[in-house]
Amino acid sequence: MPNRGVSPPIKDITQLKLPMPQEISLSNGIPVFVVNMGTQEIFKIEVIFDAGRPFEHKKMVARATTSLLKEGTRSKSAAEIAELLDFYGSSLSLPVNLDTSNMILYGLNKHFDKMLSLMTELLTEPIFPQEELNSYLENSKQRLLVDLAQVDVISYRAVTEYIYGKEHPYGYNSQPELYQHIKREDLISHWERNFVANNCKVIISGKINDDMLHQLDQFLGKLPIKDQPKENFPPIIKQTPRKVHIKQEGAVQTSIRIGRQLFSKHHPDFRGLLFLNTVLGGYFGSRLMTNIREDKGYTYNIYSTIDALHRDGYFYIGTEVGTEFAEPALKEIYNELDLLCNEKIGVDELQMVKNYMLGNLLTMLDGTFNVSDVVKTIVTEQLGFDSFEVLVESIHQTTPDQLQKLAQQYLRKEDMWEVVVGE
Amino acid sequence: MPTKTISLKSTFSNDALLILEFTTKILPLIKYERFQLDNGLKVIVHEDDSTPMAAINLLYNVGARDESPDKTGFAHLFEHLMFSGSANVPDFDDPIQMAGGENNAFTNNDITNFYDVVPAENMELVFWLESDRMLSLNINEQSLDVQRKVVVEEFKESCLNQPYGDAWHHISELAYEVHPYRWPTIGKVPKHIEEATLEDVKEFYQKHYIPNNAILAVAGKVTVEEVKVLVEKWFGDIPKGATPNRTIPKEPIQKEFHKRIQDAKVPTNAMYLAFHGPGRDEDSYYTFDLLSDVLSNGSSSRLFRRLLKERRIFTEIDAYITGSIDPGLLIIEGKPSEGVSLEYAEAAIWEELELLKSELVGEHELQKVKNKVESTLIFSEASVLNKAINLAFFEAMDRPELINEEALHYQKVTADGLQKMAREILTRENCSEVYYLAEAK
Repeated sequence: MPNRGVSPPIKDITQLKLPMPQEISLSNGIPVFVVNMGTQEIFKIEVIFDAGRPFEHKKMVARATTSLLKEGTRSKSAAEIAELLDFYGSSLSLPVNLDTSNMILYGLNKHFDKMLSLMTELLTEPIFPQEELNSYLENSKQRLLVDLAQVDVISYRAVTEYIYGKEHPYGYNSQPELYQHIKREDLISHWERNFVANNCKVIISGKINDDMLHQLDQFLGKLPIKDQPKENFPPIIKQTPRKVHIKQEGAVQTSIRIGRQLFSKHHPDFRGLLFLNTVLGGYFGSRLMTNIREDKGYTYNIYSTIDALHRDGYFYIGTEVGTEFAEPALKEIYNELDLLCNEKIGVDELQMVKNYMLGNLLTMLDGTFNVSDVVKTIVTEQLGFDSFEVLVESIHQTTPDQLQKLAQQYLRKEDMWEVVVGE
Repeated sequence: MPTKTISLKSTFSNDALLILEFTTKILPLIKYERFQLDNGLKVIVHEDDSTPMAAINLLYNVGARDESPDKTGFAHLFEHLMFSGSANVPDFDDPIQMAGGENNAFTNNDITNFYDVVPAENMELVFWLESDRMLSLNINEQSLDVQRKVVVEEFKESCLNQPYGDAWHHISELAYEVHPYRWPTIGKVPKHIEEATLEDVKEFYQKHYIPNNAILAVAGKVTVEEVKVLVEKWFGDIPKGATPNRTIPKEPIQKEFHKRIQDAKVPTNAMYLAFHGPGRDEDSYYTFDLLSDVLSNGSSSRLFRRLLKERRIFTEIDAYITGSIDPGLLIIEGKPSEGVSLEYAEAAIWEELELLKSELVGEHELQKVKNKVESTLIFSEASVLNKAINLAFFEAMDRPELINEEALHYQKVTADGLQKMAREILTRENCSEVYYLAEAK
């Protein structure tokens, strides 16, 4: 009979070292980071361009340009491209975030050359067919209309727009009526300016051999070098935060977003705030979840998060609650913010969050594709490869005093925007 | 973030699918070992030392199909209650977080599934936690009251407060007449959840949460020997229960077309077509799955390429199977482009379905969908958690060998087989259809 009254001992995580990627340079100067630790014959290539919103000449063009890269080249139609990718069991995605445009290709090593050749063609010879653009614009507009019927989308859009301003690259939102202003020439121009070798980084991961790296140079090494793209990132005008209530007829739940401007990962307080955010709403055992879901039952989910961008960052709390719980939920959220400012966190909770965060980092090092994501963050945000170790160390060193000071500085309720969308 | 979620589509189809594997030379077999405790708990172990983690998956053989029609949503509500602590564990999540791990669970029509991923050296902690809540869960009014509210909010968030969120309610009700798949996992109405009593809950626990109704799968940096010792230690003394007997009514063959038109506050019209097909355990399941792939897996697939890209009849279109253990559904869903009527759009879908019946799928196209499945399987194998979930699921079907053989079943699918199945199931009599009509602005 086991003694169920006693927990088996919990062993601390000791091994937390980022495997260093090999760094090479293609003939045209593109830096390539190689994470060669796969156990299966598969690969992932991620090509990253600094081609996000700060490089746009017109709103919503960065996303449109990136999305249309796979919709036709000088020698292949969109249908032919799709057919090739599917036939060889590859998957190609084109995620666009506010700062960068990425092309990610997953594939089987046995088809590496064919797929790399296709990828290169998409980057160097896209023609952005008018027909495909029309289709993209129409479908995107429809999807946006569906999104805009959801309270959580409305509240998220509002809070970022208030923090950065509705004309700022980090603040503006897609609008249905703006799609008609996007022209084929805008896409071509955005692509010509930004999708160039001197604005590009590559991460390759999986089970990688020298021959594959050689081929990488033969293909992606051909991307042209041009003038360095110029960014347009106006200063962020500080706003006085307000409480904004948006009426949504017939909503059975109310969406709440409470947030403020912060900073990028380069700020000296970033790591501390990451910890503080975890305590507040960054994991299942967080204070918001424990209080507002597990104790009160006001919601299915509540969280807080820090979105760190390349040039800035912001923090917000998000939840959808039953209409009748909106008032008490808001009160509890603000109580939790006050509590972090007024009282020091206890040692047990501190230890739990430390262990949780370290476990999370361990998971991020589990497998070649996960490691490649860590490497990507470090490389694109120019954090330096020691940043992983620095983060681990800072988690170990975090103290209740430090967290309280950070809360008093950054989590004062009077500094928060409040957006409430519902009936 | 783990939020103790449910999956509305009854799962294990398409991408979620499985870690299967081809016996081609690039892929080694997934080796596993099985054993059973005296109390009936089945255990399956897969060693993988390429990861520092251990994934522990505990599957209970109970899902929404085991509910009674006036108490739906119960299996899923109970999944939530499993996190309320147990005799020796005040809070289930705290120790896992303290051990640097993550945990979550999902419920579908067929099963309730709990999983934990921790640094492998903390595996024993998970056995302590999981065995304690199997043996003596804390069930009380307070936790039941909170979780009833949480689940009602989940119901609102996923079904009521977003456009088309109740699609699954309409489809399942229309397609199934007697089988319990006629209600979704979240429940038919919030009222059923609100009315769950402590007595109901206790009875459910005693009936289903017993070792002889559970399967434990462990995968990762572990050895079979240590798992054997630890599982015997922590689960060995949990008493066996009465094996729950399952009497699920068999769904009769649908004989006529069902249709429901829903006026709704949605931004744009939408349609859902559902066709009955085989269950997870039938040989023809793989043909069924590939049939949906020909229609809609990847941007070169027929519906996407022809109806969305070329003819621009739809702005969104998708086809997938529900992947349930009992006979499931093939669903085609789409949103017509502005100015295109639902009827016209639907006719275009039927043209594509007729084509599948009149012409064989070409060799190249068949190879393509097979390649795509192969690739999906290889990539999903990179996750140790996927492997643990799938091993448990196949063991629940009494067919653990599928972890290595299922891929071959896909390879065996022929163009003739696809055509035959298309003729059999893609008919009007076998179809249930839901239209959403957007209110005029």
